[in-house]
Amino acid sequence: MAEGKSESGSVGKRREWLAFLFVVAIGVPLLTIAVVGGYGFVVWMLQVFVLGPPGHGG
Amino acid sequence: MKIIAILWNTLKKPPVHISLGVIIIVSFLAGIVFWGGFNTAMEYTNTEKFCVSCHEMEDNVYQELQSTVHWSNRTGVRAICSDCHVPHDWTAKIARKMQASKEVWGAIFGTIDTPEKFEAKRLELAQHEWSRFKANGSLECRSCHDYNSMDWDKMSDEARRFMEPAAERDQSCVDCHKGIAHKLPDQMGSTKDPMLARLVREATSVSLDEGQQYYSAKSVDLFTDSELTERAGVLQVATEVNIIETRGDSVRLEIPAWRKEKGFGRVLYEDFGQNISSAVLDKEVAQNDSLIEVRETEVVDDMTGLPWGNVDVTLWAEKGAYLESRDALWETAGQTYRDACSVCHTEPAPEHFDANTWPAMFSGMVGFTNLSAGTQELVLKYLQMHSSDYVEGAH
Repeated sequence: MAEGKSESGSVGKRREWLAFLFVVAIGVPLLTIAVVGGYGFVVWMLQVFVLGPPGHGG
Repeated sequence: MKIIAILWNTLKKPPVHISLGVIIIVSFLAGIVFWGGFNTAMEYTNTEKFCVSCHEMEDNVYQELQSTVHWSNRTGVRAICSDCHVPHDWTAKIARKMQASKEVWGAIFGTIDTPEKFEAKRLELAQHEWSRFKANGSLECRSCHDYNSMDWDKMSDEARRFMEPAAERDQSCVDCHKGIAHKLPDQMGSTKDPMLARLVREATSVSLDEGQQYYSAKSVDLFTDSELTERAGVLQVATEVNIIETRGDSVRLEIPAWRKEKGFGRVLYEDFGQNISSAVLDKEVAQNDSLIEVRETEVVDDMTGLPWGNVDVTLWAEKGAYLESRDALWETAGQTYRDACSVCHTEPAPEHFDANTWPAMFSGMVGFTNLSAGTQELVLKYLQMHSSDYVEGAH
């Protein structure tokens, strides 16, 4: 494959590092914040519509 | 799109150029940095500096807090915004942080950006917070104030009388302690008392006949002259007066009263041996024999051994502040007493205590209400005048 050839070269190395750092520094942190925020949002909406205000230890 | 495709192609294959060890170490370190950063950011949004960075908080609630015990006190422990208003438990805290998106919205669109807008919303905002405290049993208060750590013996009797049963019921702190860190909403009568205001208005149209008996509808300044320039003291609400003379906008009053013949005799009382105050005179006036006619003297109260005297004090005051009877005043006072006290506890019947017990009882509790000073004076007098000393068949 043409791609397989380039991956052994410097372009492939650069792409791999960029992809790795992008995921570690930006991708996963954003995803984590979105998940935690989404969780908080869901709990908030549940409190508004279903559960009522947080109770003891809730 | 092409970038995403290249990224995806790179990611879906095992790495060729980066060793597994490097990936593990870099990812692990990035995880530490992220977690630390996340918590630091969370903590930052919990700081007071962050809360009062918007002027809505800075100008209103933050200023109010500074006059309360949660700002400065003898122990030097103080509460910041988040101590009370952000849940400490993780899930509830995250949910609250998301809820704060509403506050960001409000800050951007100026929902409460003027004092007037804030006051208009105060009741609603307070109710949100009160229902939260109701639901969680004032959980945030109790991370500092714990029923189990309260030493009843160190409390004053008044405090213990109410705290102990509250602890047994595991009652929510804010059930009683509303307005402890910020002003109460105006609708809750902190500044106005419409029932009393109505009576005061009514009094302005009562025509005063000389020689007749009336009752003050509010506390009234007393003067030695008919031009009302030389202050002599204050006549308290619901006090019996005889109208001697009317002149222009002034009236000359005779206040029949008792006073203790000890010290300067500045305080006039409703009845012999009862600490139900009718008026407070300035020192010079209290000793001025031309204004005070002594009818009886050296009447000793067996309970305290103090000599009392029965006097008539004659002074000038404004017109239009007197009613023909005390019934309406007592009715208002009784209603206010029941409303204000039953918020937290079953109110004792007025005749449950005697007239000299009520003042201490009342002053111990009145701080939990938002009665204005004038209303407090009236309610105390109502309680004393309907105490066991004045009600037949009471214990």
